[in-house]
Amino acid sequence: MQQKEFDTKWTMVVDVDKCTGCGACMVSCQAENNIAPMEEGSNKLKTLTWMLVYELNNGKEFPNREVAYLPRPCMQCGHPACVPVCPVVATTKDEEGGIVSQIYPRCIGCRYCMAACPYHARYFGWFDPVWPGGMDKALSPSTSTRPRGVVEKCNFCHSRLLDARQRARNEGMDPNKLPDGWYKPACLEGCPTGAISFGDAKNPEHKVHELIKDPNAFRILESIGMDPQVYYISRRDWVREQSDNHLAEDKH
Amino acid sequence: MGIDRRTFIQLVTGGVVGSLFTPVIWKSLDDAAIWSQNWSWIPRLKYGAITEQASLSKFGASPCAEIVKSVGGSPYLTKGNEENEMSKGGVDPISASGPQLMYSPSRIDGPMKKVGEGKYESISWEDAEKLLSEKLAAVKGQKGKLAIVSGDSTGTASEVLSGFATEMGSSDCYLMPGEEQGATVALNSMGGNGQIGYDLDNADFILFVGADAMDSWGPVVRNQRVYSESRPTGGDITTKYLYAGAFLNNTAAASDKWIPVAPGTGSIFCLGLAYHMLKAGASASVSDFADFKTLVMSRFTPDKVEKAIGVKGADMAAIAKQLTAASAPVVVAGSEFGMGAGAADVIAASALNMLLGRVNKEGGMKILPNLPKAVDAAADRSELAAKDFAGYLAGVASGKVGTPDVMMVYEANPVYAMPQTEAMASALAKVPFFVSFSTFMDETASTADLIMPNPTNYERFDDAQTPYGIGAAMLSACAPVAEPLYNSKATVDVILGVASGLGIDLGYESAETVFQAKAEKAGADWDSLVEGAAYVSDSTESGTIKFAASVLSKAVVMPKGGEVALAPYSKLLNGSSTTAIPPLNVALVSKFELKGKDLLVQVNAKTAKKLGKSEGAMVKLSGAGGECTARIHINEGVMNDVIAAPLGFGHTAWDVYSSGKGDNISKILTVGTESGTGLSVWTSSFVSIA
Repeated sequence: MQQKEFDTKWTMVVDVDKCTGCGACMVSCQAENNIAPMEEGSNKLKTLTWMLVYELNNGKEFPNREVAYLPRPCMQCGHPACVPVCPVVATTKDEEGGIVSQIYPRCIGCRYCMAACPYHARYFGWFDPVWPGGMDKALSPSTSTRPRGVVEKCNFCHSRLLDARQRARNEGMDPNKLPDGWYKPACLEGCPTGAISFGDAKNPEHKVHELIKDPNAFRILESIGMDPQVYYISRRDWVREQSDNHLAEDKH
Repeated sequence: MGIDRRTFIQLVTGGVVGSLFTPVIWKSLDDAAIWSQNWSWIPRLKYGAITEQASLSKFGASPCAEIVKSVGGSPYLTKGNEENEMSKGGVDPISASGPQLMYSPSRIDGPMKKVGEGKYESISWEDAEKLLSEKLAAVKGQKGKLAIVSGDSTGTASEVLSGFATEMGSSDCYLMPGEEQGATVALNSMGGNGQIGYDLDNADFILFVGADAMDSWGPVVRNQRVYSESRPTGGDITTKYLYAGAFLNNTAAASDKWIPVAPGTGSIFCLGLAYHMLKAGASASVSDFADFKTLVMSRFTPDKVEKAIGVKGADMAAIAKQLTAASAPVVVAGSEFGMGAGAADVIAASALNMLLGRVNKEGGMKILPNLPKAVDAAADRSELAAKDFAGYLAGVASGKVGTPDVMMVYEANPVYAMPQTEAMASALAKVPFFVSFSTFMDETASTADLIMPNPTNYERFDDAQTPYGIGAAMLSACAPVAEPLYNSKATVDVILGVASGLGIDLGYESAETVFQAKAEKAGADWDSLVEGAAYVSDSTESGTIKFAASVLSKAVVMPKGGEVALAPYSKLLNGSSTTAIPPLNVALVSKFELKGKDLLVQVNAKTAKKLGKSEGAMVKLSGAGGECTARIHINEGVMNDVIAAPLGFGHTAWDVYSSGKGDNISKILTVGTESGTGLSVWTSSFVSIA
């Protein structure tokens, strides 16, 4: 499939070595995106976690064990596997910036996109969302509520991009040339260790423009050619090596 | 004209072609897709003006200064407040769900009195205050008849409670167990005054001993921010972090090196390091240096230390060398789960800081002054912090201490969070009139005779002074950012009103004036504080501290050992000692900690084999005070002969998001007494497994 190129490429860079696994990014994501609380959260096949922190380890026995945490949002792939399989065009990659959309009212819940996504970044709503008591008063105005039966995923807090563009227009600036730091997803704001950087990878004035060129930068499953817009950085060899399904004899 | 076959085919073909060109079908399908998702029971978004206001969250273990985003006056999201030095722009995973906690189904919607076992009746505030006043009037002036415990170690509210207790003739005002207890007793033992802090910002080598700085020790969010600043993404690391503890927790995972050390042996580890420093010629101009040196060189030799904690002498020597070689090293000791460590660990870590010449130095250990009191009758902050609530309750349970007639609990959940939970809860159950000022229907409120709900921090005035562990004395405050949701009333206002009725003048008429006065006495600008800035003092206490060698010689004992040592840990994502799992966090709890309703505890493969247990096996853990059930999870990030177990589960009250999930590990913690200080300690708990 022909890759669409945009002048702006919203890109997340996660410093895996700085992530302490505290989970504040996940909580901020739940709040910003109106993911309803769940009574039973331990069945991870049915939970909704647009941002999910994975626990990685180096596979060694005590006392040589090391642990790292890897936050995983939607990768907003350059060649998204989810887009061409959607029979109702409910997910597209057609907007300046390269964010893969998810249009809930159009989704028919077939879950082809979930099967196609190699990053397990898409979630199916098995239950109608319930905010008990008055908790619906704490709904964020940024993200529409979804019924059960549709697929949902991270969209880099897209409404914040719209807000930033509106601010640029109000200030007489080009809404497609946002200054660094004007558009920040909720996970970034929630992260206490500053492990998440975000910006336009094509804009030299944005920090991520340089970060993605860091010698320790990598992307997950790079070899399958999805061209994700989420990069990771780690000084640890074993973390970088786990980013792809290498054969044992491969040289990384 | 009849319809023949040709006409029929033309009609059908025309219809199909026509339908392709008409938008009606496509519009109908689109509408059907939209309207089939547009059910009345799916809540609609509320729109309105979006505002951002500074606030202070106290849901977590340490206060977190944050910005609360509201829509149409309803808070819905928080983010860190970068202008505030107390948490430096971060937010913790409980505070991140603060607005949803504000609307939690566990909120208590008004004052209630108990009318039967587990049955409550709503009453008016007037009646509630009258009832409380009557009970208090009956015990006024009688020592031992009134006890108060506060779970707010930083707020001036605790000063109000302490002042009220004093004026009532009671000396039984306590803080819930926390790191500050052991640290305060440690500082007192070393001859210092004030509060111990650590200037992590300016250190270049930080050794955490037990202290889980990223999840439960000290100002957690600030610790994370400082850690972050020392290792810019894509840049060079400027501060080296080492963690010594029994479990590869989040602090160990974030550190450059994890040094496995048996639970509750932090002081032995520190004194083992001191041995190598002293051997290399380290000294300090302190009165009891000679005693300290004799103690360390005789009792903490490398072979003895290795036997006690499992760290080889060569490794200890290497760490000591690294510490000595660093230009701004600091050693921080604490509990692996934020409480119960006693004073010895902090004294031993302070000894290292003294040998390194790092006391009251930039990037070192600081001795901070307490901010001036707002309530004259209140105990000094250090005096309050040093008091041992666990010891008091154990005394009540055993009958050695008289049961108070009235006990008041503020922002705390002792029925759930105390060690040896069942014994402690039985002591609380003996109290004839038990009052809870909780915001939520927690385990303590569920057993109280009178519930007088306190609003959340988003609905009231509050402040926070110098959280334990922070490197400078400081003060933050907050004003309400939302209208009160329920019929709650700020506890400080309740206490001031009741005190006035009893003829006690605490000097103020409202909570707001108390917090304003605190700010004024500290030299802070109240308006700036409520707008989100923190007042920061750069002063430290003068004078020197000593090694407290005589206390160390009694308090540090080599572990006797047992079948398996328990290494509890506390993760903010799973709640804190005062807040159960927040509703939004339920889906985020690790699959290695909770499966269905079963708690998972962690051992390494070698220990599992020794115990004859495999992954997922159901086990019963028995400690001195009770039993817990859990499943085994094999985790190579746990020391041999150690079982790591998460706190924060096994709630019996609260709501569907936390009640009945897992088991409460606090039940199997064993409370002992630290020789030399008399403090209650519970970081060395052993369990048997069946």
